[in-house]
Formats: sequence, structure tokens, C-alpha cells
Amino acid sequence: MGNLLRKIDWILIVASLALMGFGLMLVYSATYNYAQTGQSWHMQRQTVFMAVSIILAVVSLAFDYRGSRQYIIYLYVFNVVLLLTVMFFGHSQLGAQRWLQIGSLSFQPSEFSKLIMVICLAAFMERRIEWLEDFADYARVFVFLFVPFVLVLKQPDLGTSLSFVAILLGMAFISGFKYKWLVRLGIGFAAIAPLLWNFVLKDYQKLRIKVFLNPELDPFGSGYHVIQSKIAIGSGGLFGKGWLAGTQSQLNFLPENHTDFVFAVAGEEFGFVGVCIILLLYMAVIWRGVVIAMNADDDFGMLLATGVTSMFMFHILVNIGMTIGIMPVTGVPLPFLSYGVSSLMTNIMGVALLLNVSLRTSELKF
Amino acid sequence: MLTNGKNIKRLDVFFKICVLFFLVLLGRLVYMQLLRGDYYSRQADGNRLRQTKLVAARGVIYDAHGKELVNNSPGFAVALQHQNSYPKELLTKLGSVLNISDEEIRQRISEQQYYYEPVVMKSNISPQMLTRFEEERKNLPGVLLMVHPERQYVYDNLAVHTIGYVGEVSPYEMSRQMYKDVTVGSIVGKSGLEKQYDSVLRGVDGFTVEEVDVTGSVVQNYDTVQPQPGKNLHLTLDYDMQTRIEEFTNKHLAYLRRSKKAPNAYAAAVVAIDPRSGAIKAMLSTPGYNPNLFVQGISEKDWQKINNDPYSPQLNRAIAGEYPPGSTFKIVTGSAAFELGKVKLNEKILDRGYHPLVPTMRNADGEVLGWLNFIQGLAMSDNVYFYELGYRAGIDAIAKYAKIYGFGSPTGIDLPDETSGLVASKEVKKKIWNEGWRLGDTFNAAIGQGFNLATPLQLAVMLSSVANGGMHLQPYLVSKITYADGSLYQIPKHSEPKHIDVSQRTLDYMRQGMSATTKQGGTAAYFRTLPKAIAGKTGTAENSHGRDHGLFVAYGPVEDPELCVVCIVEQGGYGSVSAGPIVYQVFEEYFRERGWLPKKRLSDKSGKN
Repeated sequence: MGNLLRKIDWILIVASLALMGFGLMLVYSATYNYAQTGQSWHMQRQTVFMAVSIILAVVSLAFDYRGSRQYIIYLYVFNVVLLLTVMFFGHSQLGAQRWLQIGSLSFQPSEFSKLIMVICLAAFMERRIEWLEDFADYARVFVFLFVPFVLVLKQPDLGTSLSFVAILLGMAFISGFKYKWLVRLGIGFAAIAPLLWNFVLKDYQKLRIKVFLNPELDPFGSGYHVIQSKIAIGSGGLFGKGWLAGTQSQLNFLPENHTDFVFAVAGEEFGFVGVCIILLLYMAVIWRGVVIAMNADDDFGMLLATGVTSMFMFHILVNIGMTIGIMPVTGVPLPFLSYGVSSLMTNIMGVALLLNVSLRTSELKF
Repeated sequence: MLTNGKNIKRLDVFFKICVLFFLVLLGRLVYMQLLRGDYYSRQADGNRLRQTKLVAARGVIYDAHGKELVNNSPGFAVALQHQNSYPKELLTKLGSVLNISDEEIRQRISEQQYYYEPVVMKSNISPQMLTRFEEERKNLPGVLLMVHPERQYVYDNLAVHTIGYVGEVSPYEMSRQMYKDVTVGSIVGKSGLEKQYDSVLRGVDGFTVEEVDVTGSVVQNYDTVQPQPGKNLHLTLDYDMQTRIEEFTNKHLAYLRRSKKAPNAYAAAVVAIDPRSGAIKAMLSTPGYNPNLFVQGISEKDWQKINNDPYSPQLNRAIAGEYPPGSTFKIVTGSAAFELGKVKLNEKILDRGYHPLVPTMRNADGEVLGWLNFIQGLAMSDNVYFYELGYRAGIDAIAKYAKIYGFGSPTGIDLPDETSGLVASKEVKKKIWNEGWRLGDTFNAAIGQGFNLATPLQLAVMLSSVANGGMHLQPYLVSKITYADGSLYQIPKHSEPKHIDVSQRTLDYMRQGMSATTKQGGTAAYFRTLPKAIAGKTGTAENSHGRDHGLFVAYGPVEDPELCVVCIVEQGGYGSVSAGPIVYQVFEEYFRERGWLPKKRLSDKSGKN
């Protein structure tokens, strides 16, 4: 036991718990007005699911992550079935069919899907690791990811499907994907893009991509969201306006401020100092993730840790980038901070996976 | 195991890339929060960002020769900006200026989808209302005036049932999602072509995001997306013909009432169609109304006037008025009898004034015409002759041929709310009245009375098939749709013309009979005076609520038909007296246009000068 406690990655635990604490404060603030009129269940729900997920996470540490390898076929099939279920029985919200209704709760299976795919990809790549010398071998990996990728893309959830790509890129990179292949892939994509644009994509799909690249084209106001988000963050200044005192956040100028734009609330109410602390905490998570990957005893563990870390990095970069106007608007939540039970559970289980890998490390190299 | 050193190196690079990402985020935050913090603070303090919809102009509607029938003129709408609370005095004042209730204002506010988008309180406000608004403006903080295109029906009542009108989308229509992509205050097509082609005509609204100060004036424009105007409709409708038909019909109805020939002749419908293509050249339903009344929200008084008119001005009689086709239906009965071989062209049948099997059923006005062949029977519209044909063919065959000619189902014209009429048959009687079929019912059906019901458009389609040699056409009004810049967007597709299952010989007999109708001895002999022969058929539709409806259908010129005209005058009495003269004038005018008749001197106005 003492050995276990010594091995456990306290920095990772403290950083993610601190982020969750920030998350609760921000969701409380963002939904403060609704809560005053009794219209908000966000806080209760977020807290309950946080507790449940942490218990689940602790329990999961008792099982060696290496044991999951023999179930990856089932995991993969389960994942595809889950996504198909959403496609046929899911309910639509804001123009996309991403949710499964269970009782009064809505779940977004594509969130869990990310983690499942990390595990499956890690096992799949590990088994074939000797082959991964040749570009053609990687093609197999791409095909492996292709089915869930397309299912999520069809929902449509461009943000989450791109996070699949980010996870794959991260894991492939660590497993020795050659730089020259990366360059070739880039050139190849650049070459094929105009062809796709002119001959394959339909007009409405082109429009979606145009809106994706330039949110100001969207007449339903994502351009407006970004402008408001920038005003909120910028006006926070050095020290912020104080918790529950952000004028933009509290006066409802900012839409979706408890989910995708929660970082704007942080920027406005906690100021530059506050967001620096948040960025530092995120960096700590990423740092520990990389270290755990380096220390991992086997390829499976290393790939797992890399996958989870890539997932976090993608979400942090794309979400925060969006709120400060340097990334297109996509519905990607900010880990630990955004309201959303599916996303929260996924992120906590992601941390649990990292811890699991670190616990089974025989010797610390770094 | 992988060569570990390589992976470690890669992980190292990976981490450095991550740090780089963080630095980018951090750099941007330094710029926004530290360097430009004041700028954003100022914006936050005076944050009155406002997104305003830029309403797209609806497409223009042109007649067959490019004349603008419907276009747009600049109009005004009043909208309310989002506020954290709405003072009661403000809403009351706004309501009194716009003449809407407090309740309606609250409902509109609650239906607002995007709080940053001002919610439209009233579109297309009248000039008087605009004046009042300008006077009260300083007492109405947060209320804005927006300029937007307003629908204009250039010729008022002209072809109103065909063109239709627009209005604000109602809460009911929004809750039922009857229109795509609409918000509170959107202007949509409510009837006619405006409704049928709403999605094409409407265009895509744009928007502009502006920062305004407390007084509501614009400080800075952030972003503007220009609206895309709707697409234009090019109709087959001929403005000149439509105008003339409206003129003739109204004059003739007035004459019928004045001369006491038909004191209640207030309503009528006329359809003019090209039997070669199915293109509708004119379509009238009268009485009508002025669609411009609806554009600015119809006043209670005007609405009551339209709504309480016993002659239902809103009904498009041409496609939704169902009448017994009367003697025009004898074409169907005749076709059935010939197709089944139950009668020969020169076979004489005796009219003794009644039919021996049902002696109570007689000719109109107690006529007795003696021995008649088919041509004579049709030309003189002899009922007893057709009782006999109906008896020989049987009701099942009559119903079959009625359906072949297109009765009993909508014609598929590009207008909403077309009705399908009714074809008399044993099943129909059983279903509706739960009664068995009698021979008298067959006799009634044979002459187009009883259970048979048809719309004027269905009659026009039947007539086209006779005129064009047996082609069944889908009638249509829109010949092409163009983009705002005039380039072609689409040519609407119609179902392929198909041959009806009636032989050329039979169709030829029908044409001969109809040609005889307009000759010496026929029921509409006054058509003889036209320079080209016309084939026609009179009809009188029984009406249990008043005087019978008068019907006339005709096509011409006989040798090479270019135009079919159907006319019905409600409570007009005999078709030859009520509807025939209108159809006559339509052909007279058409022949004049074609150069087969000398042009009249210019209109009355220039004559006075």
C-alpha cells in the first residue's frame, strides 16, 4: 500500500481536482441567474456526476489496465453499436443528433467514444507495433478508426470527430510515424482538397465548411458568440471582475456560457491571473500525461497515456482557442470546466487511465 | 517493445509542441486582457451589440411577356431591442402606436429566438403609423425602425387568387413548422403562388451586427452579411388576356344582374389554357379582393368585409370551386358509349321529351326534338339522347371515362389547395348517402348532374385532351424560375403528357359535336360570327340553393386549337346566355391579338382626347 501511495501521481490528481473545483465555481456562476429563479439543475447534476465518476475512477484503479486488452474487440463493437443507436434512436438538439435520452438525463455517447477509441487504438497499434514501419501499416490503423469517425461525423459532430484525428495523430507520432510521412500527408491533403471541394462535396456541405472556417458567415450568430466571448475575456483585465460579478456573463450577453463558452466566464470573472492558473493546471495535466507515457512499462501503457493526453490537449487548444477567437467555433467542451455530464465522466475516466498506467510502472525512469 | 529511446524522443517533441500551444493561448490572453483590456472594457460597459436582420427582397413575379405583376417597394417595420426588463409604460405606448395588444407584444417577446436580435413587432407599417411612430419615438427607448422590402401587387385585384398574397407568419404557423427558416415577423406567402413557391421566392435574410450607444445610434459596424434576394417567377399568365377577361366578366355579370336575366350573378370563374402545353394563360375567380390590403396587416373592417361576403372572395373557384359539370359532361358519356361500341355515329335515337324507362326525367323546358344522331344530340345538348347513351354505357363505364379525362383527382397545377371534385359511381353513393344505385342516378350522371362535381380547371384539362388529340396535360403557371440577376435557376418539371385511353375516332366525334354546337342550330350559334371556327359546349349545372350555374367550355380554332376557355357563372342560368358571351369575347380578343380580326381603335381613354 505504501508503495502504491508512493507511486501514485499526486500532481496529476491535485491538478485535475483543482480544475474540477474551478469548473464547479464557473458553472455555478454561469447558471447563477437561472438558479435564482429555480430553473437550474446544472450545479446539482454536475456535482453528483463528479462524485459518482470519482468513485468509479478509484474503483477502476484496482484493475490492471493491461487486462482490458483482451476485451478490445467487444469494446470496439460496443462503441460502434452505441454510435449507431444514437443515429437511429438519439434525439436532436441544436440541429445535431448527438444525444441519447435515459430518464431525464441526456448522454452524448460520442464523448465516451473518444476514450474507448484510445483503448482500442492502443491495443491495436501495440499488437502490430512491429509492422508499423511502413506507411501501409498505418493505413490499417486509419481504417480501424474510420467507422467510428464517420459515425460521429454524420451526427454531425465535426469537433468530436476531429478529436479522433488528433488522438490518432498523437499516438501515431509517438509510435514512430515518420516526419516525411507527415509532410506527405499534408501535401496529399492539400492536393486532394480542391478536388473534393469541386467534385465531391455538395453545396450544403461546402457551406458548413465555410461556416466552420469563417463563423461570421453563420447567420445564426456564432460570429456574435465569438465577439461577445472576446469582449467578456478582454474586459476581465488583470484581476477580473470577481466571482459572480462578470457583467457579460451575468447579464446573459454570452450564450452557452456554462458549456462551450465557460472559459469566457473564467476570463471575465477571474482575469488574467485566474486564467493563467487554469492554464498552468492544464499544463500540469499534460506534463504528467507525457511523463506517465515515458515511464510506462509497455507499449500499450505508453500509447494509452499518449492517447488520453492528446485528447486533453486537443480539447484545451480548440475550446480556449475558440473563445479567444483564434479557432473556428465547434461544439468542443473544455475538460473539467464545461458543464456536461458525459464530458465530465469521460475526462475523469481519462485521468483514471493515466493513473492506472502510472501505478503499474515498475521503475521510474523520469 | 519499441526502441525506447526513439519513443522518449518523440514524447519529448510532443510535450514541446504542447507547451507551444499553451504559449500561443497565453500570448493571445496577454494581448486581449493586458494590452487591450481597456478597449474590451469600454465595449463591455457600453455593450449594446445588436444584431439586426436584413430582410431579403422576395422574388419578382412576371407575366408571360416579362411584365412585373408583383414586386417590392421600400417598407418599414418596428422592432423592439432585447432588454433586461420591459417597463409596462413602454409596452403600452408601443401597443397604442402600433395598434396591437399588450398580450401580443408579450407573446412576440417570448417567441424571440435570439435575444440579441430585435424582435419585430409589426412589419410593413402604414404611412400613418410611421408618422405616429416618428412623433412618439423619443418616448420609445429600445424601439427601432427597420427598412425592409415590402410586397407590392402592382395591379391590385388582378389574378389575386392565382398570385396570392403574403403576410407575417402567425404563431400557429410557426408552432406547426409550416414554413422553413422563419423567425417572428418573417413575411411568408399565405396563398396562391406566393405560398406554393414561398421557399423559392423568399430568399435568404442577411444580418448586421452593430454596436449602438444608449440612445440607439450606431457606433460601430462589426459585421454585415448581405441578404440574398429571392428568385423570380415567370408565369405563363398573359397580363393582357387576364385583364381583358376580368373586364369582360365583371361587365357581363353586371349586365346579367341589371337585365334581370340572372339577378344573383355575382360569382364566376374563367380558365384559359393552351391545349398544346397545359400552360395557363389566364385564370380568374370573382369576386376577389385586393392583396395589398394584407401586406400591411389587414384592418378589422376590411377583413370583416371579405370574410362576411356571401360570395366568398377568398375562394379560388377555378381550382377549388366544385360544380356539377352539367352538359359539358356529355363528352364523357359520349366517349364511354362510343368506346364501348354502344352507339353508331349516324344512329338515330328518338327524343319524345322523356325517356321511357324513367318517364319523369325530361328535357329542359319540356323540349321534344324527335330523331337525333350524336352530332345533333350534342350540338343541341339533348338530355333524352344522353339518358339513352348513359343507359347503354352504364354507370361503371361513365365513371371510368370520367376518371380517364381527369375528373375525381387534382390536376396537379402548381397552386395550393386544389380540390379533386367527385366522380359519380355506385361506391360514392353508397359511401356518402348509404343508398343503392338507381337507373335515374345513371341518367343524372350521364348529363353531368347528381353526384358529379368538377372544378373549372378539371373541365379545362378535359377539354384540352379533346382539342389536342387525346393528350392529358398537367396544367401549370410557372414556366421558369430565375435568379435575381436574371440567370436561369430552374424550369419547373411537369409530368410528361400522356395519351388518354380514348380512340382518335371517338375524340373526332366529340370534336364534330362540339363544332356543331357553335353552328346554326347549335346551342351557341352566335359563335358563328368569329372568323375562325370554335368548338364549344354549353352546360347548366343544377344548383339547389338558387338559380342554376351557367357553364361554357370552348376551344379554337377548330382546325388547329391554340386556346381552351372554360367559364362558369354562378347562378347565371343557361350557359349559352351567362358564360358563353364571356368565352366569346375571350376568343374575339385572342383572334384580334393573332391578327385574324382587325384591331379595335385604342382604348376609350385615348378616344376622349
